[in-house]
Amino acid sequence: MNELLGTIDKPNVVESSCFLEGKEVTTSSFTKANRHYETVARQTFSYIFLNVGKHKSKHNEAHLEIGDKRLSGFLLKANRVLVCLSEKETNISDVRAHIQQVQHLIAKAEVERMLA
Amino acid sequence: MTDYKVLFTGSVCSGKTTAIRSLSDIETVDTDARVSDSAIRRKRKTTIAMDYGVLDLSDSARLHLYGTPGQERFKFMWEVMMSDLVHDAEGLVLLVDNTRNDPFKDIRFYVEEFRDFIVRRRLIIAVTHSDEKADPDHDYYMQELKAMGLFTTVIFIDARDPSSVLKIVKELVGQREKDIAWPELEQRLAVNSTMPQASGEGDSPAIGVNEEVTLLEAAMNTRGITGAIHLGADRKVLSSNVSSKQNKELLRSMINLVTALEAKASFLGHIDDLVLYGPQQETLSVFVEEEQALGLCSHKDLSINVVKQQAVDLLQWSRR
Repeated sequence: MNELLGTIDKPNVVESSCFLEGKEVTTSSFTKANRHYETVARQTFSYIFLNVGKHKSKHNEAHLEIGDKRLSGFLLKANRVLVCLSEKETNISDVRAHIQQVQHLIAKAEVERMLA
Repeated sequence: MTDYKVLFTGSVCSGKTTAIRSLSDIETVDTDARVSDSAIRRKRKTTIAMDYGVLDLSDSARLHLYGTPGQERFKFMWEVMMSDLVHDAEGLVLLVDNTRNDPFKDIRFYVEEFRDFIVRRRLIIAVTHSDEKADPDHDYYMQELKAMGLFTTVIFIDARDPSSVLKIVKELVGQREKDIAWPELEQRLAVNSTMPQASGEGDSPAIGVNEEVTLLEAAMNTRGITGAIHLGADRKVLSSNVSSKQNKELLRSMINLVTALEAKASFLGHIDDLVLYGPQQETLSVFVEEEQALGLCSHKDLSINVVKQQAVDLLQWSRR
């Protein structure tokens, strides 16, 4: 998983990333300096996607702009979220396109994680 | 005959069309169309391609006046004009609406967009609507622009008053064209005035009190926006026209979340927005300010940047 985060993090697109299982962070590349953003992401995306499930909606992506940063949450499956931290100026489409590009690696890692 | 050109630009409702009409000796060429976004709260029509007018300065000099559309979505016209029609212009007049929440944000945006164009040309910042809101004043502008590294001329004008807009022309060509009879010119242009006392009406079809457009109506006037919810400082609903129960509930939860984050994570900075996407769902977005918040439902294909720009304008004008 740590290797995967190394692939997800990309200069000028994704600064740091982490995986959430419910409200818990399972793996993270957030630096100590950015730990507060990780906390906000944990609360934000667990709450948002809990509500999405509660209302039987198909929304699977959320973005929060706070200060100079943007936190993006991608719902991988129920209760499992990939969080990306970017500069606010970064184009959302770039973040989305990058995540789509590494989607197969994420899917593979998820299968391996379940089998382990 | 010496022909000069000048390009007017600035945000929506900053007075570009009005300023050109105030100065033009000919019936101006404009490309107005019915407003199809949040600007409906301030005017019924907007420039979609360009404005053009001509001012005869003297027997030997003439000034061609060009105006860009204000909306960022017509930005392609800015490029067309800069690279072709006004590539040989004398200067750029940036009109700044003083009633905007942050006029300097507009200045930064336009200076960045027109950076290459103004490198070798004169930039004049013309502040409008100061009769509605006097602050920031001239000194503050000069001080802030200096801090931004912009050493330029700032003139406060009333775009409806030809004599006031003439100050820009004087600043731009006055030094080079010594033969201009300014008092006569001012007198000749007086007929163009659209000051309320002169003609009883403004240039842009002003929205009267009786036909005031509400924030929700303005939101719904934007193509792609399907619902809106307006909240006050206490984050209680002021008005809403979101019909889907699911969307309403989700927007409500997003607003609750942002309110909680505002209290707990303010040290990280201001929360601008929270957006929720889905491949087959309408996009839901929440935009927050200290005094109010706005939730929008929009078509999934509508660019989030367009939604953001509309939200900023809607919130901007609902405070006035």
